[in-house]
Amino acid sequence: MIHNFNYRRATSVEETLGLLEKCKEDYKIICGGQSLLILMRQGLVAPENLIDIKSVKEMSYIDYDPKNGLKIGAATIHREIEKSPLIKKYYPVLVEMEKNLASVQTRNWGTIGGNLAHGDPAGDPGPILIASNATVKMASLERERILPLEDFFIDIFETALEEGELLTEIQLPILPKKTAVAYEKFSIIKNQQGIVSVAVSITIDEDAVKCKDARIVLGAAAAIPLRAKEAEQMLIGKKIDTKLLASVGKKASEESDPVSDIHATETYRRFLVKTLTTKVAKKAWELAKAAN
Amino acid sequence: MKKYTVINTPVHNIDGIAKITGRAKYTFDITLPRMLHGKILRSSYPHAEILNIDTSKAERLKGVKAVLTGKDTLGLKQGIWRRFKELCDEEILARDKVRYIGEPVATVAAIDEDTAEEALDLIEVEYKPLPGVFEPLEAIKEGAPQLHEQAERNINVTRHIEWGDVDDGFQKADYVREDWFRCSSQAHVCMETHCAVADYTPEGKLTVYTSTQSHYYIKVLLAEILGLRENDVRVISRYTGGGFGSKFELDSAQFCSSLLSMKLCQPVKIVLSREEEFTATKRRTPMFYYVRSGVKKDGTFLAKEARVFTEGGAYTAMGATALYLTGFFQSFPYVWPSYRYDGYRVYTNTAPTSAMRGFGAPQATFCAETQIDLIADELGIDPIEIRRKNAMYPGYEVPGQATIQSCGLDQCLDKIDGWIKSRGELPRHRGIGIAAYGFMSGGIFNWFDTPYAFSSAVIQINIDGKVDLFVGSQDMGQGSNTTMAMICAEELGVKFEDIRLHMGDTENCPVDLGAWGSRETLMQGNAVKMAASKAKQQILEFATAKLSPNIVYDLDIKDGWIHLIARPERGLSYYDVVKEAIRGKEGQPIIARGHYTPHRKGMISPAYSFGVQAVEADVDPETGKITLKNCVTAHDCGQVINPLGVKGQLEGAMAMAAGYGFTEDLPMDEGKILNPNLVDYMLLRATEMPETEVMEVETYEPEGPFGAKEAGEGLTNPTAGALSNAVFHATGISIKNLPITPEKVFNALKEKKKK
Ligand SMILES: Cc1cc2nc3c(=O)[nH]c(=O)nc-3n(C[C@H](O)[C@H](O)[C@H](O)COP(=O)(O)OP(=O)(O)OC[C@H]3O[C@@H](n4cnc5c(N)ncnc54)[C@H](O)[C@@H]3O)c2cc1C
Repeated sequence: MIHNFNYRRATSVEETLGLLEKCKEDYKIICGGQSLLILMRQGLVAPENLIDIKSVKEMSYIDYDPKNGLKIGAATIHREIEKSPLIKKYYPVLVEMEKNLASVQTRNWGTIGGNLAHGDPAGDPGPILIASNATVKMASLERERILPLEDFFIDIFETALEEGELLTEIQLPILPKKTAVAYEKFSIIKNQQGIVSVAVSITIDEDAVKCKDARIVLGAAAAIPLRAKEAEQMLIGKKIDTKLLASVGKKASEESDPVSDIHATETYRRFLVKTLTTKVAKKAWELAKAAN
Repeated sequence: MKKYTVINTPVHNIDGIAKITGRAKYTFDITLPRMLHGKILRSSYPHAEILNIDTSKAERLKGVKAVLTGKDTLGLKQGIWRRFKELCDEEILARDKVRYIGEPVATVAAIDEDTAEEALDLIEVEYKPLPGVFEPLEAIKEGAPQLHEQAERNINVTRHIEWGDVDDGFQKADYVREDWFRCSSQAHVCMETHCAVADYTPEGKLTVYTSTQSHYYIKVLLAEILGLRENDVRVISRYTGGGFGSKFELDSAQFCSSLLSMKLCQPVKIVLSREEEFTATKRRTPMFYYVRSGVKKDGTFLAKEARVFTEGGAYTAMGATALYLTGFFQSFPYVWPSYRYDGYRVYTNTAPTSAMRGFGAPQATFCAETQIDLIADELGIDPIEIRRKNAMYPGYEVPGQATIQSCGLDQCLDKIDGWIKSRGELPRHRGIGIAAYGFMSGGIFNWFDTPYAFSSAVIQINIDGKVDLFVGSQDMGQGSNTTMAMICAEELGVKFEDIRLHMGDTENCPVDLGAWGSRETLMQGNAVKMAASKAKQQILEFATAKLSPNIVYDLDIKDGWIHLIARPERGLSYYDVVKEAIRGKEGQPIIARGHYTPHRKGMISPAYSFGVQAVEADVDPETGKITLKNCVTAHDCGQVINPLGVKGQLEGAMAMAAGYGFTEDLPMDEGKILNPNLVDYMLLRATEMPETEVMEVETYEPEGPFGAKEAGEGLTNPTAGALSNAVFHATGISIKNLPITPEKVFNALKEKKKK
């Protein structure tokens, strides 16, 4: 049962920020409602004021320029990202990820900003975006700030967003040369939150021999989308082969900190981190070799 | 002339248009003038004494009209096995003791849902927590907490089935195998949750709109527990948004809304939330099975012994039936020269378990079919061959239990064999598993103690030839309305469109026991056929005068044409004859009745469906993840009435049964269900469905209308077993613990590697 609340709809960022200030004591932002309404229905969240930003048109966009890369408005729905030719061209891994994120109905409502602001470590976009070195833009009446997405996640369902602050934009830099990002989630049935997911980005050197840079990000394997930094270090400067990939998987598994729940035990999750990391890193490596 | 003009043609649901255009009014949609909204306060303890309930604060909340507890009831224990008073053990509003988390303790009516919900928080219940017991194998132990006074060691019901000399059979066996299995629970997950609108008027009449599989049962049960006369209660259930076994017992929405309405003389509506639906309605029975089988070297079955402990939950519900059926279907569909079954239903401090599509048979079939493949593998016999060797056949008598009349099992095995061969060499890590199964076409035993025929129907033919067909059967989406209209049209010889069907209202529909146990096609179908046949006879009396055949038996009606059977071109329009006939009867429409009750048909059912299913699946050898590829079913439901209906049943059953096999479960912690929502409870979705195909094997069932038998529940029986066999053939491991999750496969693969 959803408790009563005051409903306010904003149509601009400015209006939203004003409302956030006004309702400072007790509010919740709602965009697509795909995550929030579940919590409200279960009585876990019962805000006094609900501020609806779904109609803030200026927060729904996908822009790309060859210098600065990609900018996605926080209120852009998943479906739009999935169907965007720009994203398909420059960040194809996002399209693949979106296709397996929830059902079409949920993707038609749910937004990328809502997904990140929800702070669920099992969310799909987080790991890919962190692996791609994404930043997020946040605005309040006082200021605007930009944060690496990696620092945005604080704890389970907790983000760096402060009171009065709105997530407005997700920014993806141009991928360095010879770089590729790969992603996979393991779920029991398709289009379901992952039991574990792994995103890997790999940059290889000019001669296409060694790994120049690497990022490994684990989903649903800790309280936040987690970078497996020691595993990354094992790749950097190395020539990648099957043996190395296997030990990278093992290391990532050691770095992970998953829980046991009704869907999987901790042991199984650790195992999945291991195999998925190995598999996804291999895929990223191969894609990177083929990349420009 | 074609043998049938209506039967065996694909017909869309008779109420399909009303449903897809949104005009079909479900109970959920009903609003009455002055209607109040009710909510139910439920126990948060698995086992506790109720010391006191203070409702005064809740009563004082503005907008609250009434707060009732067990003290405001007649204090009767009710149950659906009415013939056995000791099995009627549920008060619905607990007075002294709660036995599961979710058990109702108080109910509120208020001007809106929010107020009612708020009032629940203001009710103060003083509990004295008692130690609980949650697993049947624990609950049955000496010294375990006891739920009900009369049930020592928590044993609720026991069942014994035996034939042949089992011990001798094992003596003679070349190979004996024993296994333990654990079958999990499952939620029905109807799209429409349990709900009711009760409307009691000062004249002393109670009308209840509700979502049910049997308006007749609900009427009788409500009358009894409320102290009303049977016919002062009217139950209306025109549309039911899914049942699957969850909606033919009296539920908390029906009882509490009625109680509140009687107190207030105002309509009260209660709709259970999805969470209540998961935690506080009944569910599939978890079972712990021990199965031992003895066979000859060549695979001939000799002796089988099965013992089961079922998790009953807090009350009996339909548990006694499930316990018998699982034992009976454990031997199915094979010839076991000797068989011994002992079933124990054990009370536990968990939500009661009861009827769910397949009714104990999916559990039994999973264990039996998994074990048969293990035996076949051990003996080096092909899975098809071992089943063929021991398959039931037409005329087979299950000693003391049942006589099999029609049985197309052998043809089903042929078809599946052919399909498997057509698949050729399979890729690595892929397997095809099969499972053979059968099911009943309605039950025989009168545990409800009804004085009525099991099914009845009334037909009225009007001046324009349109037929009003009144049935007691309940359509909950399975399509029985369409089936009944088809049977009526065929027997009467009119067009499908000529039938106007009336159902779902105890005030003007004859009694039928309802839509459970796959009984409607055969039982209600027989009653409809009888009524139609009698109505036809009346029309033929008039036609005889005009066509002067040799004798009246030479006449028939088909597709609106009354004709001489030998010379079909000689005839009259049905519509013309009806007009004249009614005029001749002083303007009285033609009326006829039909009924059906099975007599002397054994212990279980008058007829059995049969089938064989093959499931093809990939298993990732690393992670254990299972991907369904194909599901093919060869099915004998006698004469198919509506091919579209059978297809719908098959696809729905497949989704439900595959869910049972590998994704659905209700994990608990001390009696608390941990996934009471549709995010954590994993139903298969459209994207998960494999290719499905149904191959009909037509037989003629002498006991069924036009030779038809069930096609509803049986289809849920084979899938978990076939899936487990597919995993076995893909990987060499056998999972005996449902659901077959990737993690279980993963662990078993790891074990196997160690060895
Ligand atoms: C059935 C189902 C399946 C799902 N499966 C998946 C899946 O497979 N993978 C996956 O990643 N996700 C999945 N989800 C989650 C869902 O896709 C995302 O969480 C969704 O994108 C949230 O977006 P929203 O706009 O609906 O957010 P809302 O529900 O409206 O909000 C979510 C949270 O974010 C806050 N918020 C929203 N927008 C902003 C903003 N601009 N600034 C600050 N705070 C904000 C809200 O206050 C709230 O706390 C699933 C959801 C459902 C219902």
